[in-house]
Amino acid sequence: MPDAILVVVEQREGKLNRVSWETIAAGQAIAAATGWTLDAAIVGENGSALAAEVAAKKVTKVYAVESPKLEPYTPDAFAAALKQLIAAKQPKLVLMPHTYQVRDFVPKLATAMGRTVISDCIGFKHENGNLLFTRQMFQGKLAADVSFASEAPWFATFQNGAFRGDQAEAGASAAPIETVKVEITDGVIRNKPQDVFKEAKQAVDLTQAEIIVSVGRGIKEQKNIEMAKQLAEALGGELAASRPICDNGWLPMDRQIGSSGQTVAPKLYLALGISGAIQHIVGMKGARTIIAVNKDSEAPIFEIADYAIVGNLFDIVPPLTEEVKKAKAGS
Amino acid sequence: MPSANCQLLIYTDKFAARNSYVRSNVLKILVCMKQVPQKDAPLKLNDAATWIREDVSYEVNEPDAFALEEALRQREKHTGEVVVITSGPARSQQVLREALAKGADRAIHLEDNAFVGLDAFNTAKAFAAAIKDEKFDLIFTGLQSDDYGYAQTGVILAELLGWPHATIIMHIEKNETGIRVKRELEAGFFQYVDMPLPAVLTIQSGINKLRYATLIGIKQAKNKPIRKIALAEVQSAIGENLQKIERLYVPEKTKKTVHIDGTPAEIAKKLVDKLRNELRVL
Amino acid sequence: MLVFRKPIEGVERPQMPADVVIVGGGPAGMACALRLSQLIEAHNAQNPDSQLSKENIYVLEKAREIGQHCLSGALLDPRSMRELLPGFEKEAPLDAQVTKEAVYFLTQKSKFKLPITPPPLRDHGNYVISLNRFVKWMGSKVEETGITIFTGFAGAELLYDGDRVTGVRTDDKGVDKEGRPKSNFEPGYDLNAKVVILAEGPRGSLTKQLVSKFDLTKDANPQTYGVGIKELWEVPGGRIAPGEVIYTLGWPLTAKEYGGAWIYGGKDNIVSLGFVTGLDYPDPRLDPQRVLQEFKKHPLVSKLLEGGKTIRYGAKSMPYGGWWAIPPVAGNGWMILGDSAGFLNSARLKGIHLAIKSGMLAAETAFEALKKDNSSAAILAAYQKKVESSWIKDELWKVRNMHQGFEQGFYAGMFHTGLQMITGGRGLRNRYPAHAGHEHMRKLSELPADGGDEAHLLGPAKGDGKLIFDKLTDLYHSGTKHEEDQPSHLIIHDTNICNERCVKEYGSPCQNFCPANVYEMVDDATQPSGKRISLNPSNCVHCKTCDIADPYQIITWVPPEGGGGPNYDGM
Repeated sequence: MPDAILVVVEQREGKLNRVSWETIAAGQAIAAATGWTLDAAIVGENGSALAAEVAAKKVTKVYAVESPKLEPYTPDAFAAALKQLIAAKQPKLVLMPHTYQVRDFVPKLATAMGRTVISDCIGFKHENGNLLFTRQMFQGKLAADVSFASEAPWFATFQNGAFRGDQAEAGASAAPIETVKVEITDGVIRNKPQDVFKEAKQAVDLTQAEIIVSVGRGIKEQKNIEMAKQLAEALGGELAASRPICDNGWLPMDRQIGSSGQTVAPKLYLALGISGAIQHIVGMKGARTIIAVNKDSEAPIFEIADYAIVGNLFDIVPPLTEEVKKAKAGS
Repeated sequence: MPSANCQLLIYTDKFAARNSYVRSNVLKILVCMKQVPQKDAPLKLNDAATWIREDVSYEVNEPDAFALEEALRQREKHTGEVVVITSGPARSQQVLREALAKGADRAIHLEDNAFVGLDAFNTAKAFAAAIKDEKFDLIFTGLQSDDYGYAQTGVILAELLGWPHATIIMHIEKNETGIRVKRELEAGFFQYVDMPLPAVLTIQSGINKLRYATLIGIKQAKNKPIRKIALAEVQSAIGENLQKIERLYVPEKTKKTVHIDGTPAEIAKKLVDKLRNELRVL
Repeated sequence: MLVFRKPIEGVERPQMPADVVIVGGGPAGMACALRLSQLIEAHNAQNPDSQLSKENIYVLEKAREIGQHCLSGALLDPRSMRELLPGFEKEAPLDAQVTKEAVYFLTQKSKFKLPITPPPLRDHGNYVISLNRFVKWMGSKVEETGITIFTGFAGAELLYDGDRVTGVRTDDKGVDKEGRPKSNFEPGYDLNAKVVILAEGPRGSLTKQLVSKFDLTKDANPQTYGVGIKELWEVPGGRIAPGEVIYTLGWPLTAKEYGGAWIYGGKDNIVSLGFVTGLDYPDPRLDPQRVLQEFKKHPLVSKLLEGGKTIRYGAKSMPYGGWWAIPPVAGNGWMILGDSAGFLNSARLKGIHLAIKSGMLAAETAFEALKKDNSSAAILAAYQKKVESSWIKDELWKVRNMHQGFEQGFYAGMFHTGLQMITGGRGLRNRYPAHAGHEHMRKLSELPADGGDEAHLLGPAKGDGKLIFDKLTDLYHSGTKHEEDQPSHLIIHDTNICNERCVKEYGSPCQNFCPANVYEMVDDATQPSGKRISLNPSNCVHCKTCDIADPYQIITWVPPEGGGGPNYDGM
């Protein structure tokens, strides 16, 4: 019987967390490379309802792991539930997205089974029959290919954006769904979570932003930042800046990117009027795609940009914002 | 059991102005700290390309400094003891010295070069072995380390000890049944969780301003005990690593810069097309 | 609004008694601490009934780690280290013994090797070292003795009682950009000390305060300085041998500027190279970092560095004034060591061995003061006498007029130097006068608009990313970091001069002479000149060039919050 990969998807407030599709895509890629089969699991109260969505993808089987004790989320309950599932179904590899929730319980789950997690991976390699997981080290300065030195089950989590959710292949027909009722005895759950609430954050955490629009000296005056802000909002991203902008007080310090500010690796980084001094570059070169707009064709930023626009940002940004808004409204 | 009555305790230290003092049960807190290469240090690969060369400057893992700060504040509120622990070669003692200078009461140093090569699982096992005769109420770790970035050691330690845990903690309040912590979730959401003691918490960075060590703190630190534990003492608790770094390398940039030309209107259209169809951000 | 750093007023400061406080953990300060420990130990062994304690002897070091702010070429003359720690060569980190030296005179495209290496530049018997690593090692030895080194603490102010120095006040920590205490504010401590020893390096800030308060330089020549801009490179093998020493004169400087370069081969294919420019050049547009980049374009250097990689960058000033520029070095409760006093041999371009020797002599005096429990000027004057009868004086006396001879330019300088060499340092008269370097700076109106012969030295360097670097890229390799939210530690006493006069008269030379892009004139429509001075204090590498070279002398450098500054690992 071939080895199986199990992708544990995540749900939030009764809906699937979109990042789960990325993990399915990852699972499918690994399955294709290794010849292993791919199953999925969904944990929690609404499991069966959402399992159908997962079953539409190209997976062999979907497990809906259920217990009233799984709501609300606690690490004790999730670890106990998944331990039972994994012990029963014996997958070779268990994959999850590297979300705050997964970080909270998957090391516990692995430890309880005497196993280990390679977390926050950005890719994988299949070489000579060996599966290696690639992850960033030293805040992105180096990369490591890591292998498992233990028996199955192996646990790995993937970084947000490491795979493309839209590349999760649909199945030819719906996969069968199996409900798995798990026993969580009294006393296992020790935490008592209260309701989740939203609060205005005191500081912006750029490291969580998927899209960042960043301004540099080329923005010239404080009032021009509004133009960049509009673009950021249209894209659904965050506004950031290079050091001089924050030093001037035009944007708060928590929006600064660079060696004396934050280090980010978003899906998309749009650098407007940023020359690309090394102090700034070290804070953003891990971005998956970099688009730079600068009127100086020799600006160092173009050396690391994927897309280069040599031109006047004041001419380019407003029409761009309009096109983005149109595209979003149309879709 | 904690008494229902409270006693007011006046401290001579300058934090008196900030907090009101209510004597509760004392809190014994362990803070797990790690020494990592300095953030801007140029890194060189060792010959086997499986780790970095040692000849680099080191500093305390910044998230751990926030964990220490929170522990010191909890001790100020509730009295008790703050103990710091680290594992690593002789050089990592610096992290303990700095923590003692800031006010930690004593330190534990699992001292051996070999500790550098242990995975998170074994590191947690070594810590668990080192503290087996102690009775801590709380164990704090930083959010994650700046070198590995795994964010696992605290959670693994909780499981090994059989303790409840919570991660990415912004705030801690002690109460009659244990603690109430504020947990950070994604996208601006938060959650309060009630937990019994003892417990393991991983502390979010930036929740407090870090205090400075004072001259008197540094002087006093020289006389605070650092208990050294050799590898041999915990050898039986740890095993082979469960994962292995096969190779470490400088990430290659296979970028070819694509120029987008035309009038601003044309550029806008071309770019939006790419954003939508190639990059899938729209 | 620029807010400048000053000690917070009206706050109660913790008091800490001390026997000796040494401000500065460089070679002088460390040698002083080591020697003092040796003397105390020897005394205690002989006098079990009257033991002296090392508990209250402190070294204050503003860097986060020992040695982190130490930068030099460097070549160590082992003479004083052998006195301090016989056999030190066996355990000290020494890169290589000097194997050969060459001195070149450069023109833009060619080089002329001097047939004979001038005696002061003969380095046989000396060692190529990294001062940073050497001081780290010295520091570990000091810590072993039980003397406390407080890293991350700067001496912010001296404490006085009349004409007596009674102690040192350390920096206030946790002060925001507007000068207000933050929630983690820690006031500086008052270290009330019997003896305060200043070992701050060139242009020490406390030394400057002391000199000013007691008018210590009234009988001395004004101190003159150069700034050394250094890069550390890793080059392909076989280009330069460990211990190989090269000095250059001439290109890219003209006859109007004083300075030259060094190239030292270290171990593991590491090359230390740098250019020292005297801070008495005439054209305010001159940029010392640019001078180094131009130097690297010369085939002698570009061939050496091709295919190599920069590891680190830094800058530091050095005192050239020689014997006549040294102020009194001892007084009521105080002594001054090393570069802070001006103990540098400008002919040999060496000062580390003199710094170490001065530290040892001061330690002997401090020891006597502790034994007698008397650190008055009368007792501490012994240090002055020791210096004057030691080989420090012998060495510096022979070159006492060296730098002054160059005040009229290169050729005059060579003439005077030649004369001094055959007259035991006298030259034309026993004491040549000197002028402060900034007085040589000319106004733009007196200079050709295009810079004339100096054009290639003026203005910022444009980098190519491989051999030549612009200042900001070079600066990244200094590893400099400071707490961002703090007041500016570069104090400009009258910014109107910057915005209204200097911008016209000198073209704001601070933008050029600062090797770290701290100073910038930014557009400001509200200013009559259209420009306003703006500072990036967290770029500072603590070289003191601005304090020295500003033509109006309105900049005072004070230490920023302790722990901040460059990271001169390996320098």
